[in-house]
Amino acid sequence: MSNTDAKQYHIQLQKGDVGRYVLLPGDPGRCEVIARHLEGAVHVATNREYVTYTGFLDGVKVSVTSTGIGCPSSAIALEELVRVGADTFIRVGTSGAIQPGTKSGDLAIVTGAIRDEGTSIHYLPIAFPALADMEIVAALRSAAQKAGLPHALGISQSKDSFYGEVEPERSGVTTRLLDRWHAWQVGGAICSEMEAAALFIVASTLKVRAGGIMAMHGEGPFGSLEPLIETAISGVRELIKADQLSREL
Amino acid sequence: MEANGKQYHVQLAPGDVGRYVLLPGDPGRCAPIAALFDDAKLVASNREYVTYTGYLDGEKVSVTSTGIGCPSAAIAVEELAIVGADTFIRVGTSGAIQKDIVSGELAIISGAIRDEGTSIHYMPIEFPAVADLDLTQALQRAAKKTGVKFRTGITQSKDSFYGQHEPERMGVARNLQDRWKAWEIGGAICSEMEASAIFVISSMLRKRAGGIMMMHGIGPVISLDPLLETAIQGLREIIAFDRSAVKI
Repeated sequence: MSNTDAKQYHIQLQKGDVGRYVLLPGDPGRCEVIARHLEGAVHVATNREYVTYTGFLDGVKVSVTSTGIGCPSSAIALEELVRVGADTFIRVGTSGAIQPGTKSGDLAIVTGAIRDEGTSIHYLPIAFPALADMEIVAALRSAAQKAGLPHALGISQSKDSFYGEVEPERSGVTTRLLDRWHAWQVGGAICSEMEAAALFIVASTLKVRAGGIMAMHGEGPFGSLEPLIETAISGVRELIKADQLSREL
Repeated sequence: MEANGKQYHVQLAPGDVGRYVLLPGDPGRCAPIAALFDDAKLVASNREYVTYTGYLDGEKVSVTSTGIGCPSAAIAVEELAIVGADTFIRVGTSGAIQKDIVSGELAIISGAIRDEGTSIHYMPIEFPAVADLDLTQALQRAAKKTGVKFRTGITQSKDSFYGQHEPERMGVARNLQDRWKAWEIGGAICSEMEASAIFVISSMLRKRAGGIMMMHGIGPVISLDPLLETAIQGLREIIAFDRSAVKI
């Protein structure tokens, strides 16, 4: 499994199959849509919830791999992608708004994650903060600014239970869920999703970079995901440029 | 529920599935399982959720993949229950915890260690994750009929695959190793990633859940066919059990 010449157990990828830059949607069905924004994208693997396409941006190899829902499957994706040569990860997806007044479609650029999940504690004690890579945050913010899209920078709640968030009243731990949600709101967290915390913590232990950009569901109807995807793609371009510059210095 | 009447993630509506549903983790395993049903049809495929519905002994049965991990498995069970399913059998692979287990032996699951982050969104950690007794017994009868070696016991449902397989490189290495030793001493037989959430949520929803897993232990795993055959036989056993219970 750790033999990088062989295909990785879950994602079914080997060295050369992916670039160092990988976009990470949750939904396998979203990979193809994102891959359309890459140049010369080809489908390289499909296994379980893991679908991978690889193409190019500005002449640099870039991939998109779905993680499935939740931190358990996301941690596996990140682990195995690192083994086959990736080192820069951007989660791209949807999320629920935590702050009242957030409009649907506003972008959340994630700086850190609340570890409200069961995977990252298999890696590091709970006191360790789940932080996004600052270079990635900066590149994504620059991309959103250039596109003129409404966006917020902030903390995401990474939870393990979708229905615990959207229907807390019927849970056996209703009060706790409501109390904690109130805490995240008071603490200023901006959105709620299900993967970021494990991606950030696992990336920390593997010494690779991870960040995330999410479209939020808030007030009003949710439109197209295209602005999100375009901003994520522009963010990767900014990052490629920044990496090339820092290498030249 | 979405405007089309289908559940948000599994993309199923009432009538799409039977009350009996097999739950593999791997979407790629649904087709080979459905091949063992009569008149199986693909009814939905969205994200990691693939569903086929067919018949066994004239009873509508389905297979839906859960994806890896309790977060996605919990969503599958929630939404399947809404569209009419009430009996869930997790079918998959697992790692052996006891050192004498030979690969290929089946684990019929009686309960699960809640070593994951999903079920605590439903019930406090003290609440036990218990498999349905009728279902567990049906699976035992099935294994006796197919003649595959099996043992019944507790599974560890974990959230981290690599935390189990390579604990030494984790920031919490000693904790993982200490807990693994505890599961071994406690007599748990196998380790997988979905059962506890399926059990706890089924308890809350007043549905039945059980599990049958092939174990990786000493030596290589040759084929999953004996597992699938036994799971199918298990469905036949619980269907027969339910029909006889109705008569009484």
